[in-house]
Amino acid sequence: MNLQQIQTQLGCEVLAGGSLQGANIEHVCACDMMSDVLVVEKDNLLLVTSLTTEQVVRTADIVGAHGVLITNGKQPLEKAVQLAKQLNIPLLRTRLSTFEACVQIGKLLNL
Amino acid sequence: MTNFSLDSSPSVVLELTLRLKIRDVMTTQLITAEKKDSLRHIQQLMKVNRITGVPIVEGKRLVGLISVDDIIQALDGGFIEEACEGRMSRQLIVLEDDMPLSLGISYFEKYHFGRFPVLNKDSELVGIVSSRDILTGLLVEMNKEMEQLEEKLSPQKEVGTTIYSREFSLHKFDFEHAGTASGTIKMELKEKGLDPKTLRRVAVASYEMEMNLIVHSLGGTLKVTHMPRQTVLEARDVGPGIEDLEKALTEGWSTANDWIRSLGFGAGMGLPNIKRVSDDFHIESEVGKGTLVRSVIRHPELGGEV
Amino acid sequence: MKLSEIAEKLGWKKLGGGDSALDIGQGFTSDLLSDVMGNAPADSVFITIQAHKNTVAVASLAGLAAIVLCSNRLAPPDMLEAAKQEDIPVYQTAENQFWASYHLGRLLDLP
Repeated sequence: MNLQQIQTQLGCEVLAGGSLQGANIEHVCACDMMSDVLVVEKDNLLLVTSLTTEQVVRTADIVGAHGVLITNGKQPLEKAVQLAKQLNIPLLRTRLSTFEACVQIGKLLNL
Repeated sequence: MTNFSLDSSPSVVLELTLRLKIRDVMTTQLITAEKKDSLRHIQQLMKVNRITGVPIVEGKRLVGLISVDDIIQALDGGFIEEACEGRMSRQLIVLEDDMPLSLGISYFEKYHFGRFPVLNKDSELVGIVSSRDILTGLLVEMNKEMEQLEEKLSPQKEVGTTIYSREFSLHKFDFEHAGTASGTIKMELKEKGLDPKTLRRVAVASYEMEMNLIVHSLGGTLKVTHMPRQTVLEARDVGPGIEDLEKALTEGWSTANDWIRSLGFGAGMGLPNIKRVSDDFHIESEVGKGTLVRSVIRHPELGGEV
Repeated sequence: MKLSEIAEKLGWKKLGGGDSALDIGQGFTSDLLSDVMGNAPADSVFITIQAHKNTVAVASLAGLAAIVLCSNRLAPPDMLEAAKQEDIPVYQTAENQFWASYHLGRLLDLP
């Protein structure tokens, strides 16, 4: 599964980032506590959160996540968007809740 | 006899003589005698213990002193077998144990005695101090200072030269800049060619240290030292200190308030995360003083242990 | 579906507090307590990693049916005490928030 499929299925707005098709996703971390994200040692990771600060992008960068999805219809802070562009990390947003996003992404993963 | 002059001493030594107390340098293993003991007995004590003065006591109270000069006179005058009571000096110059060392030194200059008995606040004999004790005490202390200085100058000299070192100042609740220090460290170590897996561990540790300093401390510094075989991270703050280190190292335990949690921090994973990614982990903390966290991450592909 | 039935099917372990006979229609996944108020549906299970007594307080205020602690996170005694007082059941699962959400959504046949 790639980010492009997730974007289409969930109807996400793309705020930053390069190739969505090239971003292969095999694991999802749905978490708002950044230290708990740092524990995750998976490749091809998507971070799903409703936190909107630049710390989300920092954390994604440290664990080498292939993308960040901001949920609950929240708008990430401008600094977060800028940092995502600078670090070349795809940043998406959806009006779905984290729960709803997980259910839909899970279905895509299990296809 | 050694002569001291505080006037001509370098300022470091001067500072030490003000900081150290008499009790820090005095000999506490006392060789004493009683009034009824013979001068011959005291001469033996001096010979066996290689000392030049013996305090005469009644219990813990100092009542007199026999010096090597008194013994020579006794041998000369033929009264070496007498009890010391009649021959001991009773007008004694003494020092107190919590006087600064500088005062002790000035006493040696002033009175030209070889030693001074040391009394505590209750006028009990607790030690004796000679000029030799003072010299030894000063040398030991200066050695410590030098070691600390060396440690500061080259914290990990045994594992090679520092390739890159940098220190960041961090401020309490400065969420505005949170993550920039560890972001910089990650970027610059990547340029230095650190492999991605090790880089990730360094990034996790430095990020958690940075967030800890911002969320929990009153402010401090984050220092990175990158060497050929390892990277060392040090977070040092000025307080408030951790009350229960064991708890602080427990996953899920946190003192963070709801506001900090709402920012995505304070889930109680910070220190456990740092420990998890470190090859060597060290923490020390004192309430009211501050906390030091040190993480050593070895570079496996260059011969370090995994 | 009844909470007790869901717990049994998904292998959630009950840690304490409250009635398990409630009907569940939704999940709400978040670690940000501020997000729960006003966003979480009343008949939902609160899926979180926040093992904290304030999680119970917020769940109670928002009228949530139950709390599920993910990644085997342990509930501290004061959290269980609060859960008992507020009559909110607290469960524990080995799954992370993503998988706990997906499996609940699939069990409830949500889109």
